[in-house]
Amino acid sequence: MSDKMNPNRRQFVMGTLAMAGGLLVARQALATASAGVQPAQAAGPISLHGVSPRLTIHILDTYHGSAATGLQVEFSRMDKDRAVLLQKLVINQNGRTEAPLLIDDSYQAGDYQLLLHIDDYYRMKGARLPSPSFLSKVPVRFRINSTTERLHLPVQFGPWNYGYYRGS
Amino acid sequence: MAGISTHVLDLTTGKPIAGVPIELYDLGSNPPKLLNRTVSNADGRTDAPMLAAEAARAGDFELRFAIGTHFKEQVALTDVVPVRFTVFDPVQHYHVPLICSPWSFSTYRGS
Repeated sequence: MSDKMNPNRRQFVMGTLAMAGGLLVARQALATASAGVQPAQAAGPISLHGVSPRLTIHILDTYHGSAATGLQVEFSRMDKDRAVLLQKLVINQNGRTEAPLLIDDSYQAGDYQLLLHIDDYYRMKGARLPSPSFLSKVPVRFRINSTTERLHLPVQFGPWNYGYYRGS
Repeated sequence: MAGISTHVLDLTTGKPIAGVPIELYDLGSNPPKLLNRTVSNADGRTDAPMLAAEAARAGDFELRFAIGTHFKEQVALTDVVPVRFTVFDPVQHYHVPLICSPWSFSTYRGS
Protein backbone atom coordinates (compact mmCIF):
# COMPACT_ATOMS: atom_id res chain seq x y z
CA MET A 1 0.00 0.00 0.00
CA SER A 2 1.24 3.51 -0.73
CA ASP A 3 2.36 5.70 2.14
CA LYS A 4 -0.50 8.08 1.28
CA MET A 5 -2.95 6.01 3.31
CA ASN A 6 -6.58 6.98 2.89
CA PRO A 7 -7.67 8.56 6.18
CA ASN A 8 -11.06 6.84 5.89
CA ARG A 9 -9.36 3.51 5.55
CA ARG A 10 -7.17 4.27 8.56
CA GLN A 11 -10.31 5.04 10.53
CA PHE A 12 -11.77 1.72 9.46
CA VAL A 13 -8.65 -0.14 10.56
CA MET A 14 -8.69 1.62 13.92
CA GLY A 15 -12.38 0.78 14.30
CA THR A 16 -11.71 -2.87 13.56
CA LEU A 17 -8.96 -2.93 16.16
CA ALA A 18 -11.30 -1.31 18.69
CA MET A 19 -13.96 -3.92 17.93
CA ALA A 20 -11.47 -6.73 18.43
CA GLY A 21 -10.57 -5.15 21.77
CA GLY A 22 -14.28 -5.03 22.62
CA LEU A 23 -14.60 -8.73 21.87
CA LEU A 24 -11.69 -9.45 24.16
CA VAL A 25 -13.34 -7.46 26.93
CA ALA A 26 -16.62 -9.31 26.32
CA ARG A 27 -14.81 -12.64 26.59
CA GLN A 28 -13.21 -11.54 29.85
CA ALA A 29 -16.60 -10.43 31.14
CA LEU A 30 -18.04 -13.87 30.36
CA ALA A 31 -15.16 -15.52 32.19
CA THR A 32 -15.87 -13.28 35.17
CA ALA A 33 -19.57 -14.18 35.00
CA SER A 34 -18.79 -17.88 35.18
CA ALA A 35 -16.64 -17.13 38.23
CA GLY A 36 -19.78 -15.87 40.01
CA VAL A 37 -19.55 -12.09 39.52
CA GLN A 38 -22.09 -10.65 37.10
CA PRO A 39 -20.94 -8.11 34.51
CA ALA A 40 -22.87 -4.85 34.43
CA GLN A 41 -23.78 -5.49 30.79
CA ALA A 42 -24.09 -9.05 29.57
CA ALA A 43 -25.33 -7.95 26.14
CA GLY A 44 -26.25 -4.88 24.15
CA PRO A 45 -29.79 -3.57 23.84
CA ILE A 46 -32.28 -5.71 21.94
CA SER A 47 -34.88 -4.10 19.66
CA LEU A 48 -38.32 -5.66 19.47
CA HIS A 49 -39.61 -3.15 16.95
CA GLY A 50 -42.04 -4.63 14.46
CA VAL A 51 -42.36 -8.11 15.98
CA SER A 52 -45.76 -9.82 16.25
CA PRO A 53 -48.08 -9.31 19.28
CA ARG A 54 -46.52 -10.88 22.39
CA LEU A 55 -45.68 -10.25 26.02
CA THR A 56 -42.01 -9.78 26.85
CA ILE A 57 -40.29 -8.58 30.01
CA HIS A 58 -36.91 -7.11 30.95
CA ILE A 59 -35.88 -7.00 34.59
CA LEU A 60 -32.97 -4.98 35.90
CA ASP A 61 -31.33 -4.79 39.31
CA THR A 62 -30.46 -1.11 39.81
CA TYR A 63 -28.53 -1.90 43.01
CA HIS A 64 -25.87 -3.84 41.09
CA GLY A 65 -26.43 -2.07 37.76
CA SER A 66 -27.03 -5.36 36.02
CA ALA A 67 -29.63 -7.65 34.56
CA ALA A 68 -31.51 -9.49 37.33
CA THR A 69 -30.02 -12.80 36.22
CA GLY A 70 -31.30 -15.71 38.26
CA LEU A 71 -34.32 -13.82 39.66
CA GLN A 72 -37.27 -16.18 40.10
CA VAL A 73 -40.61 -14.90 38.85
CA GLU A 74 -44.07 -16.40 39.15
CA PHE A 75 -46.18 -15.37 36.18
CA SER A 76 -49.93 -15.53 36.85
CA ARG A 77 -53.22 -14.56 35.34
CA MET A 78 -55.48 -12.68 37.74
CA ASP A 79 -58.91 -14.13 38.40
CA LYS A 80 -60.34 -11.15 40.30
CA ASP A 81 -58.00 -10.97 43.34
CA ARG A 82 -56.67 -14.51 42.94
CA ALA A 83 -53.42 -15.17 41.07
CA VAL A 84 -53.62 -18.32 38.93
CA LEU A 85 -50.08 -19.51 38.22
CA LEU A 86 -49.23 -19.87 34.52
CA GLN A 87 -45.48 -20.32 34.63
CA LYS A 88 -42.43 -20.13 36.89
CA LEU A 89 -39.61 -18.22 35.22
CA VAL A 90 -35.94 -17.57 35.87
CA ILE A 91 -34.49 -14.38 34.40
CA ASN A 92 -31.62 -15.03 32.00
CA GLN A 93 -28.24 -13.38 31.39
CA ASN A 94 -29.89 -10.56 29.40
CA GLY A 95 -32.51 -9.80 32.06
CA ARG A 96 -35.16 -11.45 29.91
CA THR A 97 -36.78 -14.83 29.41
CA GLU A 98 -35.74 -17.24 26.68
CA ALA A 99 -39.22 -17.12 25.08
CA PRO A 100 -42.06 -14.56 25.14
CA LEU A 101 -44.35 -15.10 28.15
CA LEU A 102 -47.37 -15.05 25.86
CA ILE A 103 -47.53 -15.21 22.07
CA ASP A 104 -50.01 -16.18 19.34
CA ASP A 105 -53.03 -17.99 20.87
CA SER A 106 -51.76 -17.60 24.43
CA TYR A 107 -51.58 -13.78 24.08
CA GLN A 108 -54.99 -12.97 25.56
CA ALA A 109 -56.37 -9.73 26.99
CA GLY A 110 -56.72 -9.68 30.76
CA ASP A 111 -55.06 -8.88 34.06
CA TYR A 112 -51.73 -10.51 34.84
CA GLN A 113 -49.10 -10.47 37.56
CA LEU A 114 -45.39 -11.07 37.89
CA LEU A 115 -44.35 -12.01 41.42
CA LEU A 116 -40.66 -11.17 41.82
CA HIS A 117 -38.73 -13.11 44.47
CA ILE A 118 -36.52 -10.16 45.34
CA ASP A 119 -35.61 -11.44 48.82
CA ASP A 120 -34.20 -14.72 47.48
CA TYR A 121 -32.43 -12.85 44.68
CA TYR A 122 -30.51 -10.47 46.96
CA ARG A 123 -29.72 -13.36 49.32
CA MET A 124 -28.25 -15.23 46.35
CA LYS A 125 -26.24 -12.13 45.38
CA GLY A 126 -24.94 -11.78 48.93
CA ALA A 127 -26.26 -8.22 49.29
CA ARG A 128 -26.12 -6.93 52.86
CA LEU A 129 -29.70 -5.94 53.71
CA PRO A 130 -31.89 -6.01 56.80
CA SER A 131 -33.59 -9.35 57.35
CA PRO A 132 -36.42 -9.53 56.53
CA SER A 133 -35.74 -7.01 53.77
CA PHE A 134 -38.10 -4.14 52.82
CA LEU A 135 -39.04 -5.89 49.56
CA SER A 136 -39.59 -9.64 49.60
CA LYS A 137 -42.12 -11.05 47.10
CA VAL A 138 -43.12 -8.11 44.93
CA PRO A 139 -46.27 -8.22 42.76
CA VAL A 140 -46.18 -6.36 39.45
CA ARG A 141 -49.76 -6.05 38.23
CA PHE A 142 -50.58 -5.16 34.62
CA ARG A 143 -53.21 -5.54 31.94
CA ILE A 144 -53.12 -6.63 28.32
CA ASN A 145 -55.71 -4.39 26.68
CA SER A 146 -55.22 -5.18 23.02
CA THR A 147 -54.07 -8.45 21.48
CA THR A 148 -53.22 -6.65 18.24
CA GLU A 149 -50.35 -4.75 19.94
CA ARG A 150 -47.41 -6.33 21.68
CA LEU A 151 -46.62 -5.44 25.28
CA HIS A 152 -43.05 -5.09 26.53
CA LEU A 153 -42.80 -4.64 30.28
CA PRO A 154 -39.52 -3.43 31.77
CA VAL A 155 -39.20 -3.70 35.55
CA GLN A 156 -36.44 -2.08 37.56
CA PHE A 157 -35.87 -2.74 41.23
CA GLY A 158 -33.43 -2.03 44.04
CA PRO A 159 -33.57 -3.01 47.71
CA TRP A 160 -35.83 -0.04 48.55
CA ASN A 161 -37.73 0.71 45.36
CA TYR A 162 -39.15 -0.62 42.15
CA GLY A 163 -40.96 0.59 39.08
CA TYR A 164 -42.43 -0.74 35.88
CA TYR A 165 -43.84 0.73 32.71
CA ARG A 166 -45.03 0.04 29.22
CA GLY A 167 -41.84 -0.16 27.15
CA SER A 168 -41.06 -0.80 23.51
CA MET B 1 -43.23 8.63 64.40
CA ALA B 2 -43.90 4.97 63.65
CA GLY B 3 -46.65 3.64 61.36
CA ILE B 4 -47.38 3.58 57.62
CA SER B 5 -48.25 6.49 55.35
CA THR B 6 -48.50 7.05 51.60
CA HIS B 7 -48.72 9.69 48.88
CA VAL B 8 -50.10 9.35 45.33
CA LEU B 9 -48.73 11.56 42.54
CA ASP B 10 -49.57 11.88 38.84
CA LEU B 11 -46.45 12.30 36.69
CA THR B 12 -48.49 13.47 33.68
CA THR B 13 -49.79 16.53 35.52
CA GLY B 14 -47.19 16.93 38.24
CA LYS B 15 -49.99 17.01 40.79
CA PRO B 16 -51.21 14.91 43.67
CA ILE B 17 -54.10 12.55 42.92
CA ALA B 18 -57.20 13.04 45.02
CA GLY B 19 -59.95 10.49 45.40
CA VAL B 20 -57.97 7.26 44.92
CA PRO B 21 -59.32 4.44 47.08
CA ILE B 22 -56.41 2.98 49.09
CA GLU B 23 -56.49 -0.14 51.21
CA LEU B 24 -53.94 -1.53 53.66
CA TYR B 25 -53.77 -5.28 54.26
CA ASP B 26 -51.93 -7.34 56.85
CA LEU B 27 -50.36 -10.24 54.94
CA GLY B 28 -49.60 -12.12 58.15
CA SER B 29 -52.94 -13.91 57.94
CA ASN B 30 -54.49 -15.89 55.11
CA PRO B 31 -56.54 -14.46 53.50
CA PRO B 32 -54.91 -11.05 54.07
CA LYS B 33 -56.72 -8.98 56.69
CA LEU B 34 -58.02 -5.54 55.70
CA LEU B 35 -56.66 -3.03 58.24
CA ASN B 36 -57.71 0.26 56.69
CA ARG B 37 -59.64 1.57 53.70
CA THR B 38 -59.65 5.24 52.82
CA VAL B 39 -59.46 7.71 49.93
CA SER B 40 -56.59 10.05 49.08
CA ASN B 41 -57.20 13.70 49.89
CA ALA B 42 -56.53 16.88 47.85
CA ASP B 43 -52.81 16.58 48.66
CA GLY B 44 -52.66 12.96 47.46
CA ARG B 45 -52.16 11.83 51.05
CA THR B 46 -54.56 10.34 53.56
CA ASP B 47 -56.12 12.41 56.35
CA ALA B 48 -54.95 9.87 58.93
CA PRO B 49 -51.94 7.50 58.61
CA MET B 50 -52.72 4.21 56.86
CA LEU B 51 -51.44 2.53 60.02
CA ALA B 52 -51.30 4.60 63.21
CA ALA B 53 -48.16 4.73 65.35
CA GLU B 54 -49.96 2.90 68.19
CA ALA B 55 -50.79 0.01 65.84
CA ALA B 56 -47.28 -0.26 64.33
CA ARG B 57 -45.72 -3.72 64.31
CA ALA B 58 -43.26 -5.75 62.30
CA GLY B 59 -44.67 -7.85 59.46
CA ASP B 60 -45.69 -7.99 55.82
CA PHE B 61 -48.16 -5.42 54.53
CA GLU B 62 -49.78 -4.51 51.23
CA LEU B 63 -51.11 -1.16 50.05
CA ARG B 64 -53.63 -1.45 47.22
CA PHE B 65 -54.23 1.60 45.07
CA ALA B 66 -57.39 1.54 42.92
CA ILE B 67 -55.73 3.81 40.39
CA GLY B 68 -58.29 2.98 37.65
CA THR B 69 -60.64 5.49 39.29
CA HIS B 70 -58.20 8.22 38.25
CA PHE B 71 -56.74 7.02 34.96
CA LYS B 72 -59.72 6.44 32.70
CA GLU B 73 -57.67 5.64 29.61
CA GLN B 74 -58.84 2.45 27.93
CA VAL B 75 -55.22 1.51 27.42
CA ALA B 76 -53.98 2.14 30.97
CA LEU B 77 -51.47 -0.47 32.12
CA THR B 78 -53.52 -1.55 35.15
CA ASP B 79 -56.41 -0.44 37.34
CA VAL B 80 -55.08 -1.77 40.65
CA VAL B 81 -51.51 -1.39 41.92
CA PRO B 82 -50.61 -3.62 44.86
CA VAL B 83 -47.48 -2.56 46.76
CA ARG B 84 -46.14 -5.25 49.08
CA PHE B 85 -43.45 -4.51 51.67
CA THR B 86 -42.06 -5.58 55.01
CA VAL B 87 -41.89 -3.53 58.18
CA PHE B 88 -38.65 -4.75 59.72
CA ASP B 89 -38.37 -2.28 62.58
CA PRO B 90 -41.78 -1.11 63.90
CA VAL B 91 -40.18 1.84 65.72
CA GLN B 92 -39.39 3.43 62.33
CA HIS B 93 -41.90 5.18 60.11
CA TYR B 94 -42.66 3.64 56.70
CA HIS B 95 -43.67 6.17 54.06
CA VAL B 96 -44.47 4.35 50.81
CA PRO B 97 -45.50 6.67 47.93
CA LEU B 98 -46.85 5.73 44.49
CA ILE B 99 -45.68 7.82 41.53
CA CYS B 100 -47.59 7.08 38.35
CA SER B 101 -48.85 7.77 34.86
CA PRO B 102 -51.34 5.55 32.99
CA TRP B 103 -48.37 3.49 31.74
CA SER B 104 -45.86 3.55 34.57
CA PHE B 105 -45.87 2.90 38.30
CA SER B 106 -43.09 3.22 40.80
CA THR B 107 -42.72 3.11 44.53
CA TYR B 108 -39.95 3.44 47.09
CA ARG B 109 -39.34 3.76 50.77
CA GLY B 110 -39.64 7.48 51.38
CA SER B 111 -39.48 9.64 54.45
